Amino acid sequence: MKECIKECIRVRKLLSRYIDKEVGRSDTILIEDHLDVCFFCKKELRELSRVKELVLKKERKVLPQDYLVCRLRQEIAGERRMMKQESWLTGLEDFSRKVIPIPVTVIVLSTVFMILSSRQQLSEYPLEEHLLSGAQTTTETALGLMLAARD
Amino acid sequence: MKNQMNEDNSYIAQFLAGEEEGFEILVRKYQNRVLNIVHSLIRQDRESEDIMQEVFLKVYRSLRSFKQRSQFSTWLYRIVVNTVYDFLRKRRNFVSNEGILEMSAVTCAGPRDALLIREKEAMIQKALLGIPLKFRAAVVLKDIDGLSYIEISEVLRCSIGTVESRIYRARQFLKEELFKLGGGTI
Repeated sequence: MKECIKECIRVRKLLSRYIDKEVGRSDTILIEDHLDVCFFCKKELRELSRVKELVLKKERKVLPQDYLVCRLRQEIAGERRMMKQESWLTGLEDFSRKVIPIPVTVIVLSTVFMILSSRQQLSEYPLEEHLLSGAQTTTETALGLMLAARD
Repeated sequence: MKNQMNEDNSYIAQFLAGEEEGFEILVRKYQNRVLNIVHSLIRQDRESEDIMQEVFLKVYRSLRSFKQRSQFSTWLYRIVVNTVYDFLRKRRNFVSNEGILEMSAVTCAGPRDALLIREKEAMIQKALLGIPLKFRAAVVLKDIDGLSYIEISEVLRCSIGTVESRIYRARQFLKEELFKLGGGTI
């Protein structure tokens, strides 16, 4: 009895493979010999075979030939457009990152230069005198005069 | 199988050489197989198509990095299974009404035979969805797509022994579910 149960367990483990024709010759012999004498394993085989048959009979969906290709073409074209736009924006960003510092530096340097030169010119020209003269006061002149006055 | 592998590799080479046609041939060749696997795993029509599209977009984006150590189909099915797993993970508690609506629509119309077929179809699909995903994936790859145990083990990245036991357990689950749904008969 114990032997029979052991063999049942062994055969049942192989039953699915047997149904799928994926067992070797020696296992096939073992299974078929056991099925000849075991009613329960034979019943299990019948039921599992029926299950497989039902799943095999399941309706298969068929798509029109170019249905997915068309959807994918659209999707891929959209992605490419996005990438192009992104790369254009990134390029613009890079460009501005490289170019913007140049005018800024030029402005800063020219301001410094103007301050220094006005400071030199006005070193002997006091702030009060300039204000009283009624001449136009630019930021640079004012700064130069103030710095000169401080010195 | 070797022929098919060579054929796929030639389409891949065509694509890598800059001809999109190579990729499109692969899409046309595998679209129905992928759709049927996805549909058997998740049931929903509209979402099956979206997942199928996502799968092929992933293929398109990563085909250049495909090392060709395995067959193209094995690699493709691995992407299919992973995409479905991701989808189901995102919608862990999803319940589909679509199938039920579809079923009731058929119940109201159609001739008797068609009705019986659709009912059986719905019953199988319902039974399939009732079994745990890892068992379902194994049995779907075997019975819906007809892969061998070795191919399934490569797709699911597990041993042949594991594939064997998953298919066996899946069929037992299915048997029980179909018994329940069919009122004691399969």
